[in-house]
Amino acid sequence: MLFFSFFKTLVDHEVTVELKNDISIRGTLKSVDQFLNIKLDNINVVEEMKYPHLSSVKNVFIRGSVVRYVHLPSGAVDTALLEDATRREATQASARAKQG
Amino acid sequence: MADADNDAAPTVQEPLDLVRLSLDEIVFVKLRGDRELKGRLHAYDSHCNLVLGDVEETIYTYDEDEEEEQQDVRIMKKQSEMLFVRGDSVVLISPQPSS
Amino acid sequence: MENGAADAKDPSGFLSEILGAPVTVKLNSGVVYKGELQSVDGYMNIALEDTKEYVDGKLRRNYGDAFVRGNNGNIPISSSL
Repeated sequence: MLFFSFFKTLVDHEVTVELKNDISIRGTLKSVDQFLNIKLDNINVVEEMKYPHLSSVKNVFIRGSVVRYVHLPSGAVDTALLEDATRREATQASARAKQG
Repeated sequence: MADADNDAAPTVQEPLDLVRLSLDEIVFVKLRGDRELKGRLHAYDSHCNLVLGDVEETIYTYDEDEEEEQQDVRIMKKQSEMLFVRGDSVVLISPQPSS
Repeated sequence: MENGAADAKDPSGFLSEILGAPVTVKLNSGVVYKGELQSVDGYMNIALEDTKEYVDGKLRRNYGDAFVRGNNGNIPISSSL
């Protein structure tokens, strides 16, 4: 749930999604779900000459499992808050693991 | 926070504790596809999804020469200010001695 | 089933018995890690101490501590036995 919540805070920001097949797509993050599937608006394909098949596409839905990276604007990320949320989630996760 | 089940000092009881102790520290991450990252760890979860700041990515490409036995390694470096890494690509995480 | 219930030596049970032992972990990719086993969990995530990484049998790198993600087809082998 941590990263789902995290990505929701980044809606309407410009991000670059790098896929496992090396294609990078830049666009405005429009929505995200619990599987970290991603919807991008107003997209541009980085190295468009190399991947011309997306040049007429405006909006995309990206299945979460094909994502390698998402490059984020560092100004939109509160790292201290994120680290605190990570510690909270880690505590919950290990408590769950102990209960079996 | 009263942590009843944390009877001992923070130690490595489960493997992910090693990652937890690296929060806000520089980590080295080895990924599938001959890629490595070095950056400051800001977030992780049990799938090994990560957020790293001030990241340097190193990509190793192996140009296999048909004629010659030896293969050339090309090294490409990329920088990223803030990077989400999907956990299914992660192979190894190691805390880096801050030097 | 009755066999499984009686048998306390499930794989992760065995692994938790050899904590602290020097182990070899081999991944599907062929990369090998040798180090001291710090901990294991149900996903076969593994924490190693004083780890050496071998690629094609050659030493590539040293790690003080290393977290190796499960689901990489890692095969842990205790080298103390």
